[in-house]
Amino acid sequence: MLKYGLAYGLLSSRRRARQMLLPAITIATGAFLVVIVFAMSAGIKKQATALGHADEIGHAIVLIAVTVLLVGVVEAAVATTRTIAHRTRELGVLGATGVRSRPVLVALLVEPVVTAFFGALGGAVLAAVAGAVLGAVGAAESGVSASGTVTGLVIAVAVSVVAAAVTSVVPIWRAVHHPPIKSLSAS
Amino acid sequence: MTVTEPASMSVAPSGGPVVKVTDAWKLHKLGDEIVRALVNVSLEVQPGEFVCLMGPSGSGKTTLLNIIGGLDRPTKGIVAIAGEDTSKITESQFAALRHDAIGYIFQSYNLIPFLSAMENVELPLMFEPYDRKALRKRAIDLLNLVGLGHRLDHQPAKMSGGEQQRTAIARSLISNPTLILADEPTANLDHRTGEVVVQTLRDLCSKLGVTVVASTHDPAVAEQASRVVRMKDGQIQAE
Repeated sequence: MLKYGLAYGLLSSRRRARQMLLPAITIATGAFLVVIVFAMSAGIKKQATALGHADEIGHAIVLIAVTVLLVGVVEAAVATTRTIAHRTRELGVLGATGVRSRPVLVALLVEPVVTAFFGALGGAVLAAVAGAVLGAVGAAESGVSASGTVTGLVIAVAVSVVAAAVTSVVPIWRAVHHPPIKSLSAS
Repeated sequence: MTVTEPASMSVAPSGGPVVKVTDAWKLHKLGDEIVRALVNVSLEVQPGEFVCLMGPSGSGKTTLLNIIGGLDRPTKGIVAIAGEDTSKITESQFAALRHDAIGYIFQSYNLIPFLSAMENVELPLMFEPYDRKALRKRAIDLLNLVGLGHRLDHQPAKMSGGEQQRTAIARSLISNPTLILADEPTANLDHRTGEVVVQTLRDLCSKLGVTVVASTHDPAVAEQASRVVRMKDGQIQAE
């Protein structure tokens, strides 16, 4: 049954690609910042060590990275809330026609996860390209590390996808179990 | 447009009423006030009947339809569908009953905007392990049945109101239900298109044996019904 929910989720994600653009861009922004921070962190740490403030600056970099990741998580949650609000009547129709709630839950989870994956991947790749260009022209004094870029890319995509899934489960579960009569009367 | 039965479609079961509402009450709390949406309503609908609920806004027509379809529960009283007392079943069991035995038609069609007419008709069974080719064939048969064989791939935004409502009728038939509940099915349609939709509903009863309960303000719809139930202030006034 769940595979049919997955199939419906992929179909709706494909057809609703335009509506997913804005949430994807907001997630991409978060991913961009994560990759940039990770790409430059090694160089910044090296400079900090030379200046004798390695620990303080190291902590500051971790703080910035965590903050940026949290922003990404919040963006993923906001994107899900927006999606559910747009699809309330659809949920009402599915409930009124007696479709079971579990495959519907899976179907609705697909969209935020797909949005988070492509948004984060887009933002991360853009950041990697930007980092490479900055490094090549010598605009980044701290330097841009390839391993930091890859680490940042993996973390940005993974955190965005996991955050989208985790922050979506509860609101989607609630929406799916909302009485269909109330979902149908939603504007 | 006339309805012809597709090969795969069966007819409603025989014996006993499809719907039996006994002494149903529905009370809503609105602030400090108790609103009596349904007052001691009893109604029986036999297989193949086209019953029309008529009455002004707020008379309880939609509430009665929602209670029959399990979208709402009565505060008091019994609703039986095909002999099954629904007061004893859970929400998910009622959803399964709705899925198998009840088709819904809404005033505002409620088609999914990003799905084609064909996919909208398939929707109630899309999440089930049905053979996809057979499901697609059945959706096409049903769209042909309601005269929309030329609109299979059209999305709702590219269809007229009448076409959308007929797509919704086709969707309500996909599970081969014994009962169709239609809430103001012609309210958003012009008179001529409304006539086509009502004719389609009437043909479902006379040719396929499907039972239809529809709410309406429109006397033209009531004229086509096999029985008219008049409601006022949550009560059945006359039949």
